[in-house]
Amino acid sequence: MSKVDTSKQNAFLIDMTKCTGCRGCQVACKQWNQLEAENTEFFSGEGYQNPPAMSEYTFTRIKFRDYEKNGQNEFAFYKEMCMHCDDPACASVCPVGAFEKTPEGPVIYKADRCIGCRFCMIACPFGVPKYEWSKGLPLVKKCTGCHDRVTAGLQPACATACPTAITYGPRDEMIKIAEERVAKHPDKYIRKIYGKEEAGGTSVIYLTSLPFDELGFKKVTLRPLPEYTWQALRFVPAAFLTVGGSLSALSWINHRRDRLKNEQEDAEQVDTPADEKED
Amino acid sequence: MTAVRAVAKEIKGYHAFVKFMIFLVVLAAVASLARFVFGLGATTNMDDTYPWGLWISFDVVTAVPLAAGAFTLGAIVHCFNIKKLEPLVRPAIVTGFLGYSLVCVGLVLDLGQPHKGWHVLRYWNLHSPMFEVAMCVMAYTTVLFLEFLSPVAEKFGWHIPLRILRWLEMPLVILAAAISTLHQSSLGTFFLIAVDKLHSLWYNPLLPLLFWVSAICCGMCIIIVEATACHKWMGQPNEGVLLRTLAKILPYTLGFYIFLRVYTLMALSEGPFFDVPVFTLLFFLELGIGFILPFLMFTSNSVRNDDRRRVIAALLVIFGLVLNRFNVSMFGMMDPNHMYYPSIIESLVTIGIIAGHILFFVLIAKYFPIFEHHPETVDYTIPDSFHKIDDGKPKQEKEQKEVLPEGSAASELS
Ligand code: SF4
Ligand code: SF4
Ligand code: SF4
Repeated sequence: MSKVDTSKQNAFLIDMTKCTGCRGCQVACKQWNQLEAENTEFFSGEGYQNPPAMSEYTFTRIKFRDYEKNGQNEFAFYKEMCMHCDDPACASVCPVGAFEKTPEGPVIYKADRCIGCRFCMIACPFGVPKYEWSKGLPLVKKCTGCHDRVTAGLQPACATACPTAITYGPRDEMIKIAEERVAKHPDKYIRKIYGKEEAGGTSVIYLTSLPFDELGFKKVTLRPLPEYTWQALRFVPAAFLTVGGSLSALSWINHRRDRLKNEQEDAEQVDTPADEKED
Repeated sequence: MTAVRAVAKEIKGYHAFVKFMIFLVVLAAVASLARFVFGLGATTNMDDTYPWGLWISFDVVTAVPLAAGAFTLGAIVHCFNIKKLEPLVRPAIVTGFLGYSLVCVGLVLDLGQPHKGWHVLRYWNLHSPMFEVAMCVMAYTTVLFLEFLSPVAEKFGWHIPLRILRWLEMPLVILAAAISTLHQSSLGTFFLIAVDKLHSLWYNPLLPLLFWVSAICCGMCIIIVEATACHKWMGQPNEGVLLRTLAKILPYTLGFYIFLRVYTLMALSEGPFFDVPVFTLLFFLELGIGFILPFLMFTSNSVRNDDRRRVIAALLVIFGLVLNRFNVSMFGMMDPNHMYYPSIIESLVTIGIIAGHILFFVLIAKYFPIFEHHPETVDYTIPDSFHKIDDGKPKQEKEQKEVLPEGSAASELS
């Protein structure tokens, strides 16, 4: 499932230094996906962000972090959303293949297949898939990458709404732009492009001015996650055949030995016909 | 009506303990109804941080190795040819069958879309450990059901099915061991994807192998506990001699497990091990009390020969296994600032599932000949067209056929 060339697939370049915290993306996402409003209280989470976390009703969210720069209070932001991994963990663990990395870039979810086991939620290194906890027969919810818009030739709703920070286009171009920006303004950016290698590469890449972990970015492995389980799963046929085969061989040998012994005893019985053998 | 009355009368005659179990099962049924009416969010303490709770940790990840007795013993008796342990096989199969059926029940309750559960058969995803476990559990429950049919066929005197089952026995035993190997280990593969989530005391690439070996150890210990309990509370003969043989195998498997566990920790896991005091405690409880201590106990002859101490050692292994599965699937992934603990409904359902297991075992033992199985005296070979084994005693065979329908099998003959 990996080894597909993702460089021409669409990706988001999100430059957090250009984000103004207007949350236009948050609103646009709700509108396009017709998500219900959440009843929240301000300051119910860590800082200024609202709602306190992504949820079945909120596919993307701007996280706020306040810090001090030259004696002034400043804000830094982080747009949380699905990373649309090149080799998605969610797709690899789903028993019914409800997630699919589309050739256009977005990782989409097929609700009609999902059995609701929530393995995708355990597997996603970024904690993206959310569950409809309020329902009797819940499904999973997550950012669709606006696959419907992208296939219709539009840009994702959040990227369209964003006045400053989001660029959308082929992944290799996005990485090039990101690298140019970092090279041009080494004082402004942390020298790292988050998402270039994280989890084997993602279709959402970030630039920031503050260390990534301080903004709430997760520190994840650089290997594609499906490799971790595949390195065990690929032994499945071999394990099945080894155990089955060796136990068959073992029992065949043992049973044959028994049978030979019985036959020998029978033969002895014929020789000494006096009494019946009862073992 | 008369049938209902007969059932009611029958139930009235049960022991108070059995009635209490029935009560717990009914309670669990009501609780699971609540889960469907009010939704998972309202009835459980699971949330987006803890998408898997008690139901996955116990009803699936722990219950499956607890039901490992059937395949372990089947392989020991039929493949390694330690025939004298045969009398233990049937109760083990009944336990296994019940265990797996209840795993299915637990899984269905936990699924968000249980009505779509069959989709696993339609959309295959070979990269998913969950797909594998689901397929194996289905296949293995079927195998166990076929194996479990033997006492049922005996009870009702169905001779032809009995012969077919008897003839299928070996293939089924081997199939059971192979399928079990796959899903016992794949349960470990589940957590390989939780790379940066599971604490390094438990995360390592050999998790599947560790899960498999510990399941085998646990399977044998469950049999020891079960046989001892049946002797004590259900008036079955003391199988101490047989359990002693089983206990002789245990030091090897336990020793191998401990070696593997320490090796993976030292050589394959990375990174801070003892940074969280609670995890350190859990780890030492699990490995020390749950595996090393019983290992030392089983190496001693006096423990193996003593009914009481033997069962204590076996219980310790079971404790170790349960703790290990919880550590891997729940505790080891917990965030101290936001803890998960099961809700009342979740607990009631799990308690009901355990009670259901005990209840059905007692009932099956009451109505079906699961303890009186002595194959040396019963011949189910398909007549004549195959290898002739039983030329010498045709009369005896006829006698048995007449005895069979009464449900007492051939116990008196042995
Ligand atoms: S971020 Fe999570 S949900 Fe999104 S594609 Fe990657 S693994 Fe899947
Ligand atoms: S919850 Fe649905 S989408 Fe997620 S792994 Fe399970 S079946 Fe797949
Ligand atoms: S890509 Fe679409 S679904 Fe995803 S966050 Fe943006 S607007 Fe929402």
